[in-house]
Amino acid sequence: MIDHILTLLIFFPALAAMLGFVVANNSMRAYGIAVAFIEFALSLWLWYAYDPMVSGMQFMESAPLIAAFGINYLLGVDGISLFIIILSTFFTLIGIASLTETRRIKNLIITLLFLEMTMVGVFAALDAIVFYVFWELSLVPMLYIIGAWGGPLRIYASVKFFLYTFTGSLIMLVGMLFMAYFYYQATGQWSFSILEWYRLILPENFQLWLFAAFFFGFAIKVPMFPFHTWLPYAHGQAPTIGSVILAAILLKMGTYAFVRFSLPLFPDASVFFMFPIAIIAIIMIIYTAMVAYAQEDIKQVVAYSSVSHMGVIILGTFALNVEGVSGSVFLMLAHGVVSGALFLLVGVIYDRRHTKLMSEFGGLASVMPRYATIFGIMMMASVGLPLTINFVGEFLSLLGFYKQSHMLTLTAGVAIIVGAIYMLAAYKKMFFGTVTNDANRHLKDVNRTELIGLIPLVIVAIWLGVYPKPVLEPINNSVESVIQLMHDKAQSAEAKARIPDLSGKNGITTMQEAH
Amino acid sequence: MELYLYIALFAPLVGSLYASLFSRSPKSQHVGIVASGLLFTSFVSSAILLSYVMGGHTVHTEMMTWIAAGDLYIPFGFVVDQVSVVMMMVVTIVSTVVHVYSIGYMDHDKGFNRFFAWLSAFVFSMMVLVMSDNFAGLFIGWEGVGLCSWGLIGFWYHKESATWAANEAFIMNRIADLGMLIGIFLIYWNTGSLQYDVVFAEVGNLQIVVVTWIGIFLFIGAMGKSAQFPLHTWLADAMEGPTPVSALIHAATMVTAGVYLVVRANPIYDLIPNVGIFIASLGAFVALFAASMALVNRDMKRIIAYSTLSQLGYMFVAAGLGAYWVALFHLMAHAFFKALLFLGAGNVMHAMHDELDPFKMGGLRKVMKGTFIMMTLASVALAGIYPFAGFFSKDLILEVGFVEHHYVIYTVLLVTAGLTAFYSFRLVALIFHGEERYKLFGIHPHEAYKFMLVAMSPLLVLAMIAGAFKMTYFQLVMNLLPATQYHIHSQTTFWIMTIGTQLFVIAAILFAYKKYANSGVSVPDGTSKMENSFVYKLLWNQYYIPKIYDEVFSKPYAELSRIAWKQIDLKIVDATVDAIANGIYKTGENTRHIQNGNLSSMLRWMVVGLVVLMTLAVAFSVGYNVVGA
Amino acid sequence: MEITLTHYLVLSSILFAIGLIGVMRRKNLLMLFFATEILLNATNVAFAAISHYIGDLSGQMFAFFIIAVAASEVAIGLGLLIVWYKRTGKIDLDQMNSMRG
Repeated sequence: MIDHILTLLIFFPALAAMLGFVVANNSMRAYGIAVAFIEFALSLWLWYAYDPMVSGMQFMESAPLIAAFGINYLLGVDGISLFIIILSTFFTLIGIASLTETRRIKNLIITLLFLEMTMVGVFAALDAIVFYVFWELSLVPMLYIIGAWGGPLRIYASVKFFLYTFTGSLIMLVGMLFMAYFYYQATGQWSFSILEWYRLILPENFQLWLFAAFFFGFAIKVPMFPFHTWLPYAHGQAPTIGSVILAAILLKMGTYAFVRFSLPLFPDASVFFMFPIAIIAIIMIIYTAMVAYAQEDIKQVVAYSSVSHMGVIILGTFALNVEGVSGSVFLMLAHGVVSGALFLLVGVIYDRRHTKLMSEFGGLASVMPRYATIFGIMMMASVGLPLTINFVGEFLSLLGFYKQSHMLTLTAGVAIIVGAIYMLAAYKKMFFGTVTNDANRHLKDVNRTELIGLIPLVIVAIWLGVYPKPVLEPINNSVESVIQLMHDKAQSAEAKARIPDLSGKNGITTMQEAH
Repeated sequence: MELYLYIALFAPLVGSLYASLFSRSPKSQHVGIVASGLLFTSFVSSAILLSYVMGGHTVHTEMMTWIAAGDLYIPFGFVVDQVSVVMMMVVTIVSTVVHVYSIGYMDHDKGFNRFFAWLSAFVFSMMVLVMSDNFAGLFIGWEGVGLCSWGLIGFWYHKESATWAANEAFIMNRIADLGMLIGIFLIYWNTGSLQYDVVFAEVGNLQIVVVTWIGIFLFIGAMGKSAQFPLHTWLADAMEGPTPVSALIHAATMVTAGVYLVVRANPIYDLIPNVGIFIASLGAFVALFAASMALVNRDMKRIIAYSTLSQLGYMFVAAGLGAYWVALFHLMAHAFFKALLFLGAGNVMHAMHDELDPFKMGGLRKVMKGTFIMMTLASVALAGIYPFAGFFSKDLILEVGFVEHHYVIYTVLLVTAGLTAFYSFRLVALIFHGEERYKLFGIHPHEAYKFMLVAMSPLLVLAMIAGAFKMTYFQLVMNLLPATQYHIHSQTTFWIMTIGTQLFVIAAILFAYKKYANSGVSVPDGTSKMENSFVYKLLWNQYYIPKIYDEVFSKPYAELSRIAWKQIDLKIVDATVDAIANGIYKTGENTRHIQNGNLSSMLRWMVVGLVVLMTLAVAFSVGYNVVGA
Repeated sequence: MEITLTHYLVLSSILFAIGLIGVMRRKNLLMLFFATEILLNATNVAFAAISHYIGDLSGQMFAFFIIAVAASEVAIGLGLLIVWYKRTGKIDLDQMNSMRG
């Protein structure tokens, strides 16, 4: 069974979702929780069985789909994808367990389980076509969640979300097809396997074009400035559960794909585009932080803060050294936990007051002390306080990029200032002061259902902040092999110099050796 | 010994967690007692460690790995050496006193339990800060104390001014933390490690320009925590927090973290004397600058806060000039008498029902004898009168300036010493002497609980006798810090200077008494000539710096943010995307008339299409033949 | 004057043009069928002529095919036309716009 665990992880929720159609309405919640829990347990088992000292792919599965074109059902995990898969199953579980939505709950849970399939599929796929299929399929449940359970502008928001990201991925698809064609030209065989592609050394001008094609798909998903405007609408209109999954997992697809595709496939292009992308990342960090500061709606603050943090992740990815890339992968997890928790928290107050405007609140700390405490912890995690999960990722990302550029890192470091500004200002508006609005005077503190979702997140946020090693170590090992691969493949002298050579270090199996 | 290390470190954390368990229930005395007891345990452990370190050993232990990625390896490592043990003693003594004191001070507060949770958490962070054996660990503590400071300044969160001050403090510190972070990055990429011992061993091999940048960036970090100009405004505003907090955090411990950093990083600063001169000059400037603001202020706690700022300036002068042990010594002495002064002010505040204007007090010595004695003695120590603690530490800094031939700095510090004496005793005179002006306001003051006074007494004793430990202390820290003795070579000069300084200070004290202890003092109403003079206004408004910050940074930032959102994000970025989508949509909207269902017009379009295709085919084949030929 | 392939093709083009204009201009469905027949026969002429000219019978074979197809088309088309006429009483093209986009 462990040999096929990835297939199991992908298709178990889908099968369960199908069965869900025949489950009675009132037992649907329990059913959903049970399925999500089994799935989560399976993913933990995957972690348990995963060998952290091996840097290459593990639990690989392969079955031909269209043999003539080299399209295979190819799966595998390494340290980079392992934890994002666990994060996906974790958040699906938490999302369903703390669901407060009451309308059409059956459909919602079935949709969530389908979504879970696509998410795990994206992160486990090692074949470009399989990856692409899951990537696009993930849009559908999200579209449905926003469109069916969203706010007043839900149709506009969901269509915008769908078309925007879809456009980007089509450009990416063209890039993939061209990449496969190039592989065919070079070897006389078709292949869509990413691992096969890794071996290919592309001429630099090809790399630039292909990098650009992939970049559009990924950048819109992340979302990077200036492609970010679908996100505030999507978050603004989506129900709590939609925002949580969107922020915690779906955005990570973009950054994950940068690490999985762009860096190892196009090392020279990555170096070539490093500074332009870093500048975009810095704009993301500072500009969206300012926009977040100006918001009146707490959910928009969190939404824009997501974009700002994604900027740090991108920066870390394009540090192109082990510290930076490991940091950015870790920060993906951290941001998932923290922003997911923040969206859940916003949902808590929205359920009670049906408004997200901060001017409606004030003085909540005295009415809802437990809520204020959890919000405070998560806010501090978002601000990147040491011993919380975000700090490890941010620190490593910035540290990594510092090797490449002093000035840009100094500018990007402003993140820790502007991040504190908007978060503290929002916290102050909501929680401090005296209660002025009578509607707030008798609000109930967080209840048990909500705590089920929030407490584990708080624990994870602090646990991985204090002791990140169990997660960071496998990530680090896999990232080392990626970096080594990039160094080996790099052609230009600048790329050779910018991407460190790790071959002198002991105990690293490179990607080639692993196969 | 590791056991004691961990006890000293983690006892406050346990206390904090214990208190936070009850943070939502009403006041329970046992929370305060348990937290204080654990703090005392921590103090005892520190004392045991002190005696161990005095025996010439150090304790260095690694608890576990924190971050390991690439070549970076950061453990939770702790070191108890001559410098950190001194800090540990200062922190645990002052915080134990403050904890016990707070049991009385926060007696009637709803957030009693929450207060102890924060306060103990602060002590834990501070211990991490001083005990870590690497820069990243220091940074953990550094941010941790910032967080607790935020929580404690904004402790009374229903007050707008308190939460504003809390956010201001946090954000200002963050600005400096960025500098510190960059310093850490520089250290890592140049030495490959963040462990103190590795870095300090390696730093000599680096290019001097790199070391200079490291020094500058680390000092930027120190500037924020220690509220040096231009990041000083938060400290005075931080007085919104409960007074024990001001005593512990904003006088004795957290604000001295910057000094500790410079002292700890002395191998770095030794290599870059130019940066040292800058630090010293800035310190001297801040000393005078802050003292001048204290001269006219009418808020008891703010006066003491400015005095703290001024004394931090002194410490930086010593640290900048390479007299690290002197800086640390003054840090220690200052912690004792300044905390005492603040706690005394807390008693007065309680007695006066949170009235802070000393002009509305007067004559309190009759009702508050204990507090009166303590505050007077603390002020004497602050003014630097022999044989109190301040004399030994502060005069030493003056001597350092003199011996190192920085006469400008020396003069500035000397003048500041006079100002310090003046404003300290202006405060004492206004509060405790003269007419009982508080009666006009219908206040009935009372002395604080006895156990609070008892709790304060260790600080009183230390403020009086700390100077006696000077040589013991020197013997201790010279193992780690440059053991330069600062002696003025000529005996005559030495005596002239010492006695001259003493006379100058005493004159300032007497002047303050003469001016403010008589019965003619009344509550200023803004009409007197002095209050309308330019200098008074300048000082009263803190050189207009908070206003300038507000106008130059806060408001434009808010405005810019609004523009970024409303104008750029919505009207440019998003509008462009929508325009593209709308363009496509409009094209469809316009061309759908082709599909009007009318067979003959559709046939016509068909013919048009045919013609176009044929034209293209002809054009391409002609073009191909031309090129092909 | 000998009749060459050019003459046939010119005839075919003229027929095609007449048919095309008929298809575009006529509003009556019946007339449209006539025009379509002219179009088809224009191509038939061209097929037959070219087939003869290059000596390949498959062109003429195609012409027969087209005649057959045209016949069946007319048969179905006229059938539809009659049904339509019965239902609406008109066979005016401008009235048939239920497929309007």
